[in-house]
Amino acid sequence: MHEWSVADAVIRTVINWAEENHVKEVTKVKLGIPSYSFLEVDILKEAFDMMKKDSVLDHAELEIVIKEPTFVCKNCGYEFSSNDVKDQLDTVRSEFGEEYPLHLMPALAPSFLKCPKCGSHDIIVKSQDITIDGIEVKESGTAETVS
Amino acid sequence: MEPLRQLAKEKLSGRKIFAVMSAKGGVGKSIFSAIFSLVLSEKEDVTLIDMDIHTMASSKLFGFEGKLHEVSKNGIEPFNIGRLNLISLSGVVKNNYVILPGGNQSSVMESLISFSNLKGNVVFDMPPGLGDELLVLEKLANNYSPLVVTTPSKVSIKVVKYLLDYIEKEKGKKNVSLVVNMAYFNCDDKIVKPFGSVNYDELKYEGYSFDKIVEIPIDPKIEDYIGRIQDYSGEIKEKIKNDFLK
Ligand SMILES: [Zn+2]
Repeated sequence: MHEWSVADAVIRTVINWAEENHVKEVTKVKLGIPSYSFLEVDILKEAFDMMKKDSVLDHAELEIVIKEPTFVCKNCGYEFSSNDVKDQLDTVRSEFGEEYPLHLMPALAPSFLKCPKCGSHDIIVKSQDITIDGIEVKESGTAETVS
Repeated sequence: MEPLRQLAKEKLSGRKIFAVMSAKGGVGKSIFSAIFSLVLSEKEDVTLIDMDIHTMASSKLFGFEGKLHEVSKNGIEPFNIGRLNLISLSGVVKNNYVILPGGNQSSVMESLISFSNLKGNVVFDMPPGLGDELLVLEKLANNYSPLVVTTPSKVSIKVVKYLLDYIEKEKGKKNVSLVVNMAYFNCDDKIVKPFGSVNYDELKYEGYSFDKIVEIPIDPKIEDYIGRIQDYSGEIKEKIKNDFLK
């Protein structure tokens, strides 16, 4: 259900941006989401399509890019991916069910994940935020990309 | 572009924002935040957001420890106590401890605000000191009213000046309230000040000015209300009611 609030956040941001930049029609929104947030892409798209109506986004398509994060352990320097900590992620999911912490807030990763090599929680996550990485707009018949 | 920051800003705009802050831990900030929010909620909708993610005291005070927030299409649903809505990170992580490197802290704070189904005015229970949370708060809602909590102890007053220097002198805030917690207790109608008195003239002389100064009494009965602070109706509550909301 959390997908609806993410869609809301994206739509409001783009509408504000369009107003500021006097854009009349947005054709595409490129959204980056961290893979370990486990947002359901289908639900996110459905929510986006429902909520975009009667706005500058009416004809906009949502393109989702799943960002594979790189974790870096500050203690031992080991670099790893979310695949390397899959078992830990499964444990979180089994404790919390569907709405588990990392689904809501990927930035909580250091609290729930530890370095597979040395066990430290002192890990940095690259690309933990949901980001709008590009917007395509229709300007006098042609499409242009803004990022 | 970061949609979460944008949404957090929008969610806070148009609301009155109170930030309960302290320079030092252990001055009773969370109890004050809880009772202050309860008093506000007698008249209007209020959302208390517990930003002190390392103690997460609010959920303990209200008896929501170990409970998870429901998540609906509207986002994270607060715990309800009448017209008071409580949002706590503990409702997301349950009893797990939280370790967050710098940058993640602000990101968690932004998501907590942007995903929550906020209602009415907002009270932030801030962590002690001058951390990331304060910088994030300023980015999201620069118009907040600071309620700075201290005890009468000399150390606490000394430390609180750093915080005041920042928000008053640096940020030019004029609407600062000073909350002197555990200021006195009522002993058979005699006022006893076990931690000494605050020299307000000296503070004034040093250039600090306050919109309000409120002394909060010690009420030993409060201990019986940990876990059900919503049922408390003693001296502290009366004092907050009379001094803040007149
Ligand atoms: Zn390591």
